[in-house]
Amino acid sequence: MSKNSFQAMLYLLPAGLLFLIFFYWPLLQNAYLSLFSWNMVSPNMKYVGMENFSAIFASPELWKIFLNTVLFVVIMLVLNFVLPYIYSFILGHVITCCQAFYRSALFLPSTLSLAVASILFLWIYNPLAGPLQIILSWFSLESPRWFKEDYLVIFAICTIIGWKVFGYNMIVMLAAMVAVPKELIEAAMLENASNWTIFRKIILPMTSSTAIYVFTITVVFGLQYVLVPVNMLTQGGPDQGSSNLVYIIYQYAFTFFQTGRSAAYAVITMVCYLVFLYVKNKFLEKKVYYEN
Amino acid sequence: MKLKQILAAAMVSLMAVGLVAGCGGDKKKSADNGKKVQIEYWHVAAESFGGATVKELVADFNKTHPNIEVTAKYNPDMYKGLTQNLQAAIASGKNPDVVQMGYSFLNYAAENLQYTDLNKAFKEAGDENFMKDNFLPNVLNLAQTEDGKQIGLPYSVSVPVLYYNPEIFAKAGLDANNPPKTWDEVSKAAKQIKDKTGNMGFFMQEYADNWAQQGLIESNGGQMLKKVNGKVQAGFDSPEAAQAYQLLADMVKNGSGLHATNEEGFQAYLSGKLGMVCTTIGKRANFEKSAKFPVKAVPFPAFTGKEVKIPAGGNFLMVFSKDAAKQKAAIEFIKYLESPEALAKWSTGTGYLPPRKGVADDPKGFKKLADENPNIKMALNEMKKVSKWASFPGANGLQAEQLLIDVRDVILSGKMSAADALHQTAEKVNKLL
Repeated sequence: MSKNSFQAMLYLLPAGLLFLIFFYWPLLQNAYLSLFSWNMVSPNMKYVGMENFSAIFASPELWKIFLNTVLFVVIMLVLNFVLPYIYSFILGHVITCCQAFYRSALFLPSTLSLAVASILFLWIYNPLAGPLQIILSWFSLESPRWFKEDYLVIFAICTIIGWKVFGYNMIVMLAAMVAVPKELIEAAMLENASNWTIFRKIILPMTSSTAIYVFTITVVFGLQYVLVPVNMLTQGGPDQGSSNLVYIIYQYAFTFFQTGRSAAYAVITMVCYLVFLYVKNKFLEKKVYYEN
Repeated sequence: MKLKQILAAAMVSLMAVGLVAGCGGDKKKSADNGKKVQIEYWHVAAESFGGATVKELVADFNKTHPNIEVTAKYNPDMYKGLTQNLQAAIASGKNPDVVQMGYSFLNYAAENLQYTDLNKAFKEAGDENFMKDNFLPNVLNLAQTEDGKQIGLPYSVSVPVLYYNPEIFAKAGLDANNPPKTWDEVSKAAKQIKDKTGNMGFFMQEYADNWAQQGLIESNGGQMLKKVNGKVQAGFDSPEAAQAYQLLADMVKNGSGLHATNEEGFQAYLSGKLGMVCTTIGKRANFEKSAKFPVKAVPFPAFTGKEVKIPAGGNFLMVFSKDAAKQKAAIEFIKYLESPEALAKWSTGTGYLPPRKGVADDPKGFKKLADENPNIKMALNEMKKVSKWASFPGANGLQAEQLLIDVRDVILSGKMSAADALHQTAEKVNKLL
C-alpha cells in the first residue's frame, strides 16, 4: 500500500511541481511584493511593511470597488447562470423543433473574442448613432449615456460578457439537462406531475453538479473577463464607476506602475475568492448530487 | 521497458541541450555579425495610424545604411502599452534602442528609466549641433524636464483643433464659412444646432488623458501645475480653470454637449449626428476618409480677449542603447527619421505635424500637401501656440493624472460644480505629489 502511494506520488510529481512553480510560487512572490513600494524597474525596492494595505483600507476607493465587484457578480449570475439554466431546460425538455439551429445560434457568439464583442457593443450602445438609440427613439425615449453613468455602465459591460459567455454556459448546462434519464420524467408524467414539479423535483437535483460548476466559473472567470471590456471601453470610468477588484490590480500595476499597491490589491482579491470558495464548498456543495 | 526509459531520458536531455543552445545561440549570432549593428525601434503606430509609413521608412533606412539593421516593433495600447513593455524589457536587460515616448510620460520616463543623454550622444556621433540647428527652442523644450535636461527629441507633434460638420451648420442656420472662433461662440452654436436640428452640438475628446482639457484650462489663463516653494503642486484649483471646465459642463447640461466615450463621440460625428468635435489634428486623415460630409478643421477656439495656449501631443524619440556601437547607430537612425523627406512621409501617413524647422515649406513633399489641404495648412499655423503637455512628477504622477480623468466624469455628469470638483481633486493630487 505504501509502495503504491509512493509510486502515485511519483507520477503526480511532474504535474505537482509545475503547479507549484507556476501557481503557488507567483502567489508567494505577489504577497512578498505587496510589502514594497516599487515600480518594476527601479533598482531600489523600498520596504514599506503593511503600508500598502493600510492605505487601501483607509481609502474610500476600496468600498466603491467592492460594491462594483459585487454588482458585476450579481448581474453576471443572472445573465450567465440563471438565464442559461432556464434556456437549457427549455431547449432540452420543452422545445422539440429546430434544436440544432438554436444550439448553434446561441453558441456562436462565444467563439468571438471579447475585444470584438466590446467594439460591437460600443456601436450598439452609442447614444447618438447606435441601433439601440434608434429603437428607443421609436418610443420617444432618449438613449442614456451607457458607458458614462454609474451602475448603468456595469450593466452595459455585463451584457457584453453575457453575450460572450451565455452560449458556452448554456451548452454545458444543456449537456446536463439531456443527460437526465427520460424514464424518470416519463414516469413523473404518468403520475400527472406538472412541468414545474418535474423541474423542481427531478431536473434541479439531477443537474446540480453541473450547475454548481457553471455557477463557480461564472463568478471566477466572469470577473476576469470583465478586464477586457473595461480596459477597452471605460478604463474604469466614469469616476471609477466600472472599476473592480480585477481591473484595479491591472490599473495600479500597469497604468500607475505601483507594483506594491497592485500586489496588495491582488492579495485582497485572492482572500475574497477564498472566502467565496469556502462558502460555496461549505453550504452549496452539500446540496449537490453527484452521480458517482 | 528499458528501451522506453532510455528513449525518454534521451528526449529529456536533448530538450535540455536545445534549451541551453537556444539561449547561447543569440549571443553568438550578434558577435558574428559584428560588422552589421542591429538596433530595435519601438513605435506605437498601428496599421491604421502610420504603421505602413514606419515600415516604409525602416526599409528605406536599412537599404541606404548597409552597416545598420533596424528592426521595428509595434507596441499596442499607445504610450502606456509601450511604457509597460519598456519597463519589462529594461528590467530583463534587453533594451530597445530608439523608442517613441508620449509627452505625458516625460517626467515618468525621466525619473524612472535609464535613458541615453541625447546631447552627449549627438556629440559622440560627431554632430553636436544637430538639435540646436534644426529645431526651434520651444519645440526642443517639449522633450525637456523641468530642470532643462533634454531627454528626447520631438518627433511627432499634434495640436487640438475644432472639427465641424458644414452640413449641420447650414441646416442649423449657421454660417458654415464662419465657424466659431471663441468658446462663447462654440456654446451658442452648439445650442442652435441642438434647437434647430435636434443633433448634438459639441464634443470634446474624452481619451484617458486630459490633453484637450488642458488646452481649455490654459487658454482661459489657468494652469495645470504650479510651483510652491520649489515643489510642484496641482494648479487647476483656480477660478479660471473652473470657469473653463464649467463651460463644457453647461453644454452637456443643456443638452447641446455630448458626454460619452471617445469612440462614441467620433462615431457620432462621422455619422453626421454631431456638429463639432474638439480633438487632435492627428485624426484628420482618418476623419476625412471616413466621413460622408466635407470635414473642416479650424483653430482651437479662444476665450474672448485671452491668448490661446495648446499642449503639444504626439511623441519624442528616446535612446536606450547599451553599447557605444548601438548608440551611434541609433543616432544615425534618428537623424534619418528627422530628415525633411522622412518627416514629410511620416506627416502624410499620420497627420502629425513635423517638428523640424523648414519641413513645412519643403517643396519635396509637405508644402504641396499643405497647399492642397486647408486643414493641414491651418494646423501648421497652430505650431507657434504650442506649449508643454503637463506631466505630473514623482512615483504617483500617473495616478494623479487618473484623478483628473475621474474628475472630468464628475464635472461633465453634473454631479458637482466644476469649482468644487476641481478643488477636491487638487487636494487629492497634492497629497499624492
